Amino acid sequence: MLFLQALLSGIMTGGVYALAGIGMSLVFGVMNISNFAHGDLMMLGMYLAYFAFTLLHIDPYLSLILIMPIAFLFGFLMEKVFISRVISHPHQNQILLTVGLGLIMSNTALLAFTSDPKILTTSYSSSAFNIPGGIYLSVPLLISFFITCGITAILSLFLLKTSTGMALRATSQNREAAQLMGINVAKMSAIAFGIGTALAATAGALIAPIYYIHPLAGHSFLLKAFTISVLGGLGSVAGAGVGGLIIGVVESMSSTYISSDWKDVVVFVLFLAILLLRPQGLFGKKGGES
Amino acid sequence: MKKKFVLLVAAVLLAFPLLTSAAPIKIGFINSITGKEAQIGENLTNGIAMAIEDLKAKGIQVDLVKEDDGGDPKNALAAYEKLVTRDGVIGVVGPYTSGCANVVASRADQYKVPLLVPAAAKEEITMKGYKNVFRLNAPANVYSSVLMKAVAPYKPKTIAYVYAATDFGVSTVKTAQENAAKMGLKEVANEKYQQGQLDYRASLAKVKAANPDLVFLVSYDADAILLMRQAREIGLTPKAFLGAGAGYTTAQFAQQTEISNLVISATQWTDDVNWPGAASFALRYKAKYAKDPSYHAACAYEAMRIMVITASTAKTSVKLQAALKAGSWNGIMGPVQFADYGGFTNQNNHSMLVQQISGASYETVYPAQFSKKKLIYPFKR
Repeated sequence: MLFLQALLSGIMTGGVYALAGIGMSLVFGVMNISNFAHGDLMMLGMYLAYFAFTLLHIDPYLSLILIMPIAFLFGFLMEKVFISRVISHPHQNQILLTVGLGLIMSNTALLAFTSDPKILTTSYSSSAFNIPGGIYLSVPLLISFFITCGITAILSLFLLKTSTGMALRATSQNREAAQLMGINVAKMSAIAFGIGTALAATAGALIAPIYYIHPLAGHSFLLKAFTISVLGGLGSVAGAGVGGLIIGVVESMSSTYISSDWKDVVVFVLFLAILLLRPQGLFGKKGGES
Repeated sequence: MKKKFVLLVAAVLLAFPLLTSAAPIKIGFINSITGKEAQIGENLTNGIAMAIEDLKAKGIQVDLVKEDDGGDPKNALAAYEKLVTRDGVIGVVGPYTSGCANVVASRADQYKVPLLVPAAAKEEITMKGYKNVFRLNAPANVYSSVLMKAVAPYKPKTIAYVYAATDFGVSTVKTAQENAAKMGLKEVANEKYQQGQLDYRASLAKVKAANPDLVFLVSYDADAILLMRQAREIGLTPKAFLGAGAGYTTAQFAQQTEISNLVISATQWTDDVNWPGAASFALRYKAKYAKDPSYHAACAYEAMRIMVITASTAKTSVKLQAALKAGSWNGIMGPVQFADYGGFTNQNNHSMLVQQISGASYETVYPAQFSKKKLIYPFKR
């Protein structure tokens, strides 16, 4: 019973982590940039969901319809104005730029919203489905998980079936060859960053009802998203999905059978072990980094 | 001409402090006005401001010198040294945090200027035998002991601990374990967690499997809400939830009625306690600052009131020390007397209060002589 409870909670929490990882991985795949502002973009998603709920009285899950286009546009513009300027520069410049943008976002949020944590309380905030056998599934977490599955499915279809999706994948595989084939790689970068931002904000909005909203909340999720995308293989959307689930389940299992104090240790030991055996990550291309 | 004017201004500036320091008594106040403790620090500042106002209304003039420590013990010590050497205060109220108060306390006997600590909980502060260090609030070990005394009549048998892996969490649980052992409570689960996690269900499921009578919790701010939500989700229903940490005594927590109802917590002060002036203090505070006073505000108010009233007759630091040691007071913090007991020196044996949340508000339920309501046990959902 304890095992099943831990497994199911782990999978559901992992699903939400996966969404954060997928956005980061997609951006890396297409643009070869590690976006260290990803956590702060999640934080913006949390506040958007919070204000949509408190000011406009829109359910946090419904508000995704509003948040996703806003976040996409924000990411698209951010790429055009800032990121595109460092795309052919060394990694350390890109890291400094994204870290800087993240700091500006989190500190602006601190000034605007203060450091008091906000709590989003819905009618189903602490309700759960009771499965016979004494297992409880959190309602908000379950909704988040299904939305994550839906979004991942739509994203996969988009990447596999549409011409823009194929162009994105082509850019991810070989930027120069894609450009020679007549793909507008600059536009693809902006689209990829827009989608990455929309996914980050969505992950933030999905976390908002089950967590608390704070200007610095994104920082702990940044580390998680980065771990997940490296674990799955930087650039691999499927890898990030699987990576998220692994992290979620390992965290949950180690707090059940060892101690919740040790769960980060277990996660990172496993992370190191996987990287030792497969340096390119679970689904990464061998020698992808040139 | 210009030179003369500058000289004149300089002379006036020099003379001014001499003129003012002649009449009212001079008291220092060290607080965390900036830094990460600033949010709570503000409550102390407000409490002090109200105390000064009330004293003025009674005709007692005070020259208050305020210093900010930013939550940093180094700054707190510098502030204390500045107050006693440059400003020549005869007594100091503060600092707020345990870390700052502990460092300043270690120097008070060297300068022989009494320090009255209003709200810092670390036990050590009044355990080193310092003659010039006085403390109004109850030290940290009382948090767990008063909670356990409140539920003792209902004869619980087992206890589980769920707490943040911080200095505060670990030390509070350590004293709680000692108190539980004295009561003959059996420990059935011990879950230490890292703060800021998304999912505490695994830890809580383990606690649930152990089926404890009491669940003792130490958490900060929003973690408390998260933890209690997930506890409700997985159906953890002990006979009582005992919240020792700060997260269980906030208005934000109380407003989450679905999860907060009937949770028991310990505090230094409540607005419905029957200590003289407590209720009216709360009303006036609310009117002035548009929010409920925290216990910090009440502690600071009473500490400043005691300090000024005693200093206004004592006039010098040495006499002030003797007067604080000998005196007794009764105000919004109940009866106050700085005594030596159980290893403590100049420690007010403050009776902490146990409160229980009922319909989004905190009600004092223990000790019986200070409360209007009765504790509800066992916990019902």
